[in-house]
This record gives sequence, structure tokens and C-alpha cells, in this order.
Amino acid sequence: MFLLNFLTILFGKLMVRVLRMMGKNAGNLPGLALWTLNKKCLKAFRPDCPIIAVTGTNGKTSVTNFLSYIFSKSGCKNIITNYEGNNLDTGICSLLLNYCTMTGKIHADYLVLEVDESHVPVIFSQLKLETLIVLNFFRDQLDRNGEVETLILKVKKFCETFDGNLILNGDDPNVARLGLANPGNKKVKYFSVERYKYATETLYEAGEGRFCPVCGHALEYDYYQYSHIGKFRCPKCGYGNYPVYARFTGIDPDKRTFTADGGKYTTVCSSIYYMYNLCAVYSAAKLYGIDKEIIRKAFRSFRVNNGRLESFRYKNSELILNLAKNPVGANMTVRIMNECPGKKELLFVLNDNTADGLDVSWIWDINFSIFNNVSKVVASGTRAYDIAVRIKCSGYDASKIKVRPDLDDAVKELFSGEGKKFAIANYTAVQPARAALNRFIGGVRDEK
Amino acid sequence: MKNKIRILHMYPDILDLYGDSGNMEVIEYRCGKRKIGCEIDIHTIGSSTDFSRYDLIYIGGGADLEQQLLADDLAKHSSQIRSAYERGSFFLAICGGYQLMGRYYKDSNGKKISGLGLFDYYTEASENKSERCIGNIIIEAELDGEKTKVIGFENHGGRTYGVKSPFGTVLLGNGNSFRDRFEGYFEKNVIATYLHGPLLSKNPKVADYIISRCIGRESGDSAELVPLDDSLENKCREVLLKRFMKT
Repeated sequence: MFLLNFLTILFGKLMVRVLRMMGKNAGNLPGLALWTLNKKCLKAFRPDCPIIAVTGTNGKTSVTNFLSYIFSKSGCKNIITNYEGNNLDTGICSLLLNYCTMTGKIHADYLVLEVDESHVPVIFSQLKLETLIVLNFFRDQLDRNGEVETLILKVKKFCETFDGNLILNGDDPNVARLGLANPGNKKVKYFSVERYKYATETLYEAGEGRFCPVCGHALEYDYYQYSHIGKFRCPKCGYGNYPVYARFTGIDPDKRTFTADGGKYTTVCSSIYYMYNLCAVYSAAKLYGIDKEIIRKAFRSFRVNNGRLESFRYKNSELILNLAKNPVGANMTVRIMNECPGKKELLFVLNDNTADGLDVSWIWDINFSIFNNVSKVVASGTRAYDIAVRIKCSGYDASKIKVRPDLDDAVKELFSGEGKKFAIANYTAVQPARAALNRFIGGVRDEK
Repeated sequence: MKNKIRILHMYPDILDLYGDSGNMEVIEYRCGKRKIGCEIDIHTIGSSTDFSRYDLIYIGGGADLEQQLLADDLAKHSSQIRSAYERGSFFLAICGGYQLMGRYYKDSNGKKISGLGLFDYYTEASENKSERCIGNIIIEAELDGEKTKVIGFENHGGRTYGVKSPFGTVLLGNGNSFRDRFEGYFEKNVIATYLHGPLLSKNPKVADYIISRCIGRESGDSAELVPLDDSLENKCREVLLKRFMKT
């Protein structure tokens, strides 16, 4: 076994070296090669620190970046993390290969990893996980991932034998059910966000959690924060009643403030899904005993950027760019846009590359009929016309839709008028969109 | 001539994969632009529905589990649905809905679900769950004597056999089974197909064909419709046809 592990790492390291000598960025390739040769290759790595993993449909990258930042500010110099969201088995394998010694040892204070939902079981059957954070489960790229339920069952199966810390979004019935998977695990912690002012009595956007995962009865909701996230309970078996470990209260979207454990916090953004991300971050930071002042400072100033509610400025206009890979993500941005007073313009960049999923029908699950004071829409990307037709059929005035498949043209069109702008871009569109925005605004912007 | 169509959307709460509900949005939009009234009702498990009221009966697609959930309910209303069909209601059925209109559907676990048996075809899924027809698809259909290319996205494990009158011939993609020549099932008042997209969003001619059949239902013929400005839709089709046919 020892020899096999040694050879695995030797081979991987050699590969990284050869690729570098050829002037290539090794990227995912060494991990992919190791994984193909040996499906248990992660066993060769021996980290000497706690591993924290973040999973769920939306928000993984943001929460992972926030946690790494907070840990780094609390005196931990050595944190290994996949900032860029290389979150599949092969990506994590490549990451660890970069940091390990020849004997597979990895020395760090913390390993903070975002992990694709479907890869949680296979990765953490080989690496000892201390804390798993689960954010939410939404439908996402059905042609690639299969159905949401299949995905939840995979993670649930893992949780049945997991006895580490399990930090769960208690307001997502699809996530909270994981807390019941292993009745012997006493380290299950739920987080929750108190009703905010735009919460609704009925489901506003496409959602998943309709039935009680315990008894199958239809769930009842006191309110929905967004999609199927909200205060739910099962009238038959009582599912939904659990102690809350961390709760945000007094959410004020205008002042961008909230309260947690009696302390008041100010944030950079205030959308409700951002609040849920922060609540996950807060729960983990609380569990690891991080000083409240460090958390407060991080919440007040840290920005993940990278196309996640990233802000751009050009003359008198501000633009907010947000990644959306699925209807819930896009609905969230439309909601943020609507909650913003005054006239605004929207850029939507839609690609259908392999990593996006070839099927773009999910745009029909976005609720565009609620557009409030949107004076122009610019459609871009490889499927620019699809999004234009989608928005038109929601009842929006077709003469206000400009189709500019080329991103530079699209950005130029968007900034031809003044005022507030929003941009939604899907997975492979977000980095090109950032690049086009930066090109247009001119000069190189400071990163973070 | 009628100036209103009544639509029944079946199981929208259970069969709502791949934005299929968008088909209803397109019909509503295209009726609205022409000042044609459009009333959409819902039938779901446990509803007591008078199927004879409707000009258009629409059923979308779902996963295996969901199809099993509603099979019993569907069977209960079988004779009513059949009589609506016989009296000339238009049927639009997508993917899972298409399969359920046939004799039976055998899923990838070998479990057989009876269909409504309105039509003779039947569907069997491969036992290998990863064997699916997935991808962009273009077919050529003939509507009211006019040939038109229909664009969509298919994602199905089931292969449908015994189709006597297909919706179209396959130009790109799989169709009723792997590399089939034909796709879907068609009668004057029936379009049953694997095409998601949603179907009508990419194919305004198909949407208008359905609307005109519904409006002209009493005369038994298609009705003339006021043309709409479809420049965005046409441009979308042009771009996609060019790109997909190249590959």
C-alpha cells in the first residue's frame, strides 16, 4: 500500500514537473491522470490539518473564499483552498498534488475545499473530513447531473456514516433532511435566516422541496425567502423543528445590516441569498471559535468578486455582475435588480458550451414577468437570441431588447446609456464577461 | 369563428422538467398579441376535471419516478381523455407525456407503466441507465402542407416503437430511438414529440399551427391567423440551424 501511494505521488509530481518544463500550466491534467490510473489515489495524501468542505448548488465558491479569508485573518498562515472552484475529484487531486511532500504529507492549518455535490462521497471516503457545510439543493444542469433527488440521496448516503460536524441550511428542506441521516451524529448544526422584508407567502420562483422527506406529506410554509428556502414544517410528522445553532435576525437590506448572537454586522451586499451564504460562513467561524471582530471586519469589507455580485464602475454607472448557472441563481439576480429603486438595464450572457450544459431550456424557469422598471435588455453569448426570445415572451417590450452576440459589442451597447446596470452570465460566460467589462472600462482593475 | 381557446395543462406541478411549461407561455403570448383569449386550467393528481371543455390538452415530461406517481390518476380519466380526443381537442404531448399517450412505457428498471393507449406506439428504455438520446435535434415536419424545420433538445432513455405517423424526419439527432429516421407522433390534432427547448419557443410555426387548429376547431380546419413580428425568433432559428447543421 505504502509503495503504491508513493508511486502515485511520484508519478503525479513528475507529471506536474514535465508539464511545467513544457511551459504548460498543469491545471487539472495531473489529477485526471492519477484518478484514471488509481481511483483511490486520494488515499495517498495525508493532510495533518482539519478539512472543511463546502457543498451545495449555489454559493460554494463564495463561502469557501470567505472562510479561507476569515481563517487567514485569525492567525492561520497556511490555508489550502481551491479558490477558483476546481471542485471535482480530479481538481482536488491536482490541488493536493501541488502541496504535498513526496510521502504524501500535506502540512497546513486548514484545508478549505469547495466540493461538487456529486463528488462528496467519493472524495471523503478517502480523506478524513472534519466539517461538511451544505448550502442548498436546486435544480442545476439536469442533462449533466441527473435529477436533484438523485444528488441529494448521494450526499445523504455519505452523511449516514459521517460523524463529523455537519453544518446545514435549516431553511432548505432538501438540506435539513441530511441532519436525520445519521441519528448517532451529535454534531449536526443548523443555520437559519429570519424572515426578511421581501419574503413571500407563496412560492415565487421554481422550487424543489414540496414534500416532507420523512413522511411524504406536503410541506407547509410560513414564508418563502427565495425559491423553496424559507420557514417550512410538516403538519403530519413535525419535520422542520430543530434547534438553531446560528440565526441571522433583523435583516435590513437597505442599511445592509443584521444581528447574530446579539452582535450587529454590516455587509457589502444585502441580497437574501448572500445572507444565507454569510450565515453558513458565520456558523463555521463560530464553530471554530474565530474572534467575532475578525468576522465583523470580513463581513464589512471582504468581496469575493470573480463574477459573484461583483461591482464595476464606469463614469456615472455602476454595474453588478452575477454568475447564474441555473434558474434560482438567475431569479436571485432579477430579484436584486427589482429591489433596486429607479430605472436599470440588464445584460444577460448565455452560453451553451459543454460545461454549461448544451440545453438552455432552464432560462424558461426564470421569472422575467416581474421586471420592474427595466429600460433596456442586452442579450449576448452563443445563445443570445434564445434569451432574447425568452424575455420577449414574458411580455417585455421587444423593441427594448438589443441582441449583441459579441461581448464587446454587448458591453458597449449597455453603457451607451447612463444609470444602474445589472449583468447575469452563466458558467462559461462569466469570465469572458468580466474581461469584456474590464476592457471597456479600460486599464487593469485591482484584483481583490 | 372562436376568439378564445381553452387549455388544460396536465400535471404542471409534477411534469415540469426542462422549462416545458414555457410552451404554455408561448401560446399565451402569441394569443395575447392577436387578442385571442386564452384560458389555462390545471389538472393534477386528485383534480376532478371536465376534459370535454378544452380545445388544447397539454402534457409535459418528467422523470421515471414522477411518471409512476401520476400513472394511476391518468388511468382514472382515461375514457374522458379519449372522448376529448375523439371530439377534436388538440393534444400536445412532450417527452414523458408523449410516452404516456401510447400503450405502455417500460422504464430502465424493467418496470412497466400502462399508458393511455390513445395511440398504438409503445416505449421501452434501455436497462443501461446511461444509454440516453441527449442533444440538439432538428427534424423536418409538414404542417398544413408546408414543410418546416423543427428545432429542439432531446433527452430521453425511452425508445418509442410502432409509430405509424411520425411528427417529422430526423435531420440531426436521434428521434424516436437511437439514430432513428423519424421523430414523434403526428395526427392533424396531435403533436407528440421528444423535443424540449421548450418546443414552441424555437418553432413559432408549430405554435401557430396549434393555435389555428384550436380556433378553427368547429369548422374542422385550420384558421387564418394575423401574422406576428417574429424577427427575433427567426433570427434565433437562423443562427441555430446554421450552427447545428454544420456539426
